[in-house]
Amino acid sequence: MIRIGIPRALLYYQYYPMWKTFFEELGAEVVVSPPTSQAMLAEGSARVVADTCLPVKVFLGHVLSLVEKCDWMFIPAIRSVKNNTYNCSKFLGLPDMTRAVVPESPPILDIDIDINKGKRALYQAIYKLGRHFTWNPFKVRQASLAAWQAHLNYRELMSSHGLTPVEAIAETSGTPEVEHKASASHPTSARATIALIGHPYLLYDEYVNHRLIHRLEQADNKVLTPEMLTTEELESAIARLAGRAYWTYEEEVVGAGGHYLQSGTDGIIGIMTFGCGPDSLMMDAVRRHAVKLRATPFMSLTLEEHTAEAGVVTRLEAFTDMIYRRKRRQVEACV
Amino acid sequence: MRIGMPHMGNLYIPFKAMFQRLNIDFVIPPLTNQHTLSLGVKHSPEGLCIPFKLTLGNLIEAAQLGADTLLMPTGYGICRLGYYAKTQEQILHDLGYYNVEVIGVGISEHKLLGLLKIIKRLSNNAPWPKIISAFRFGLSKLNTLDRIERVVQKVRAVELVKGTANQLFAEAIGAIDKADDYNALKKAQADYIDQLNQITKDNQAEPVVVGIIGELYVVLEPFSNFDVESELGKLGVEVRRTMFLSEWTKFSLFLNPLGINEKDRIHKAALPYLKRDIGGDGWESVGEKVLHANRYDGLVHLVPFTCMPEIIAQNIMPKTKENIPVLTILCDEQITKTGMLTRLEAFVDLLQRKRRVENNRQRVAT
Repeated sequence: MIRIGIPRALLYYQYYPMWKTFFEELGAEVVVSPPTSQAMLAEGSARVVADTCLPVKVFLGHVLSLVEKCDWMFIPAIRSVKNNTYNCSKFLGLPDMTRAVVPESPPILDIDIDINKGKRALYQAIYKLGRHFTWNPFKVRQASLAAWQAHLNYRELMSSHGLTPVEAIAETSGTPEVEHKASASHPTSARATIALIGHPYLLYDEYVNHRLIHRLEQADNKVLTPEMLTTEELESAIARLAGRAYWTYEEEVVGAGGHYLQSGTDGIIGIMTFGCGPDSLMMDAVRRHAVKLRATPFMSLTLEEHTAEAGVVTRLEAFTDMIYRRKRRQVEACV
Repeated sequence: MRIGMPHMGNLYIPFKAMFQRLNIDFVIPPLTNQHTLSLGVKHSPEGLCIPFKLTLGNLIEAAQLGADTLLMPTGYGICRLGYYAKTQEQILHDLGYYNVEVIGVGISEHKLLGLLKIIKRLSNNAPWPKIISAFRFGLSKLNTLDRIERVVQKVRAVELVKGTANQLFAEAIGAIDKADDYNALKKAQADYIDQLNQITKDNQAEPVVVGIIGELYVVLEPFSNFDVESELGKLGVEVRRTMFLSEWTKFSLFLNPLGINEKDRIHKAALPYLKRDIGGDGWESVGEKVLHANRYDGLVHLVPFTCMPEIIAQNIMPKTKENIPVLTILCDEQITKTGMLTRLEAFVDLLQRKRRVENNRQRVAT
């Protein structure tokens, strides 16, 4: 059976169930890289120039860990998933860059996703991808429909059941322990509700963010993430804050930030990496809005390879302490 | 309504000519300098690139001079530059310039007609013939500037008294700025090209040729790259670049809509290594490296720090089969002139040595 390697990084968190279904329907086996580790990051960073951003270095580490384990590497080039939006160059150049810096990688399956070019181009791109497995267009069509259904189910699991992508992926692959964790993650008497905004590859990669979600939940906080919002909520928030979306994944930052700033959460933490092009502008837009509203405390955490765990923990504690005190004051004022 | 715009090289001259002919109130902020940089850095989000910081500084200085309508390039599908107008307007409002409006001028979206329509709006509905004639005059100033600059690039490398060409170039810019009709413009062009050709030159010299590639703004704005072209000229290097504003306007406004694209050649060269447009000038950087590998002695690759497309290009470029020495210079507010000069000198030494070795080898062979 042909083995397809999918790195557990970047867009994995958004589209993994979809990709997996697609390739399995076409009779391939999907291999996923293990969770990020120190060694993977070190190997990935050694391949690229220093100012490449952290998520891309992590991504290359995952690619390197898959080199021996698969026959094809799946790396899509996603330009837009909505009309008139645009993606960071790093996503567009990802297949070509991987080819250049990881020459030992198995052949790379790339696909150009650009909704701006219309449906026909999209279908052609999908068929071209399917051609590697079958000549039969109907089989490809069937596989892509199944993949789309899997994606919708996955989104549904996250937005209505409040699961994080990691939990939802585990759920779709049928791991039972998730049920337990999902209920435990929403304690009835949370000390504070804290919303995290940022791209899924930062929020759910525990190595990169130093187990941020885990730390917050351990301290009896309720954690909200962008995936828990519906598309309508995200879009109306973007319209309020920025007018029209410019970036392909703007809703994860500006949409979620705009929504949570006005939804009565106790605090918002924005997570970005150093040198991120889109986030440098989007996080700033959210920060400006937060300053204007003066309603919800906002903290921005910038991650990079050198971020020390102690530094993150200190800032997190200071931020949550401030929120607890603020809440106590409010209660006292009411009494 | 008073109009202002950020600087990029000598771009203000054609715009000034055009707006003067249309009787538009136009202010030119001081040429980009250290103060502009400090202003821009102070009010920008930290992670942004030098083009954002410098243009923001220009816009703030224009607003201080009373400009209320600011022009800024935008557009989908370039890089984060497309978003800058919106963010900069926000920053200006937060700084207290409440009545300032930043108008995004999207070359690739608006095309020629859209651009002319924006000018019409700015000029309070001037008649079309007047707009077109003013636009043409601006363009011809732009072309004249670039024609003279091409000569200057050649002369700088071989002139005996270093700095003469630069001085003449500065005078030429002044003369072009003053010229108020086509005749004066033509005369200035002929005059200065003549004078440049008459500068005493070292006729024996065979200068090494260095191509300048990289991101448009840092290539064209001398302040952001510490005038790397003059510095290379002082070291006796002939500088070439494909990126000229006049060429760029000619193609993006007039020829691209007809399906002629000057960049096709560059893109085709890049195809084996980079298959798709990644925004900004990343594709072009890779393609130019491949194209110029046999024609130039070396390349200077100018990159704003944290520039997304150029980081991809930087990662791909060392892996191309076509080999040529490349010196990548990251431009940001931390760059120092001495540091850059040391690197340039080392690079030029290397190129000159390489050429000597090659010449010797050829002599031995014959």
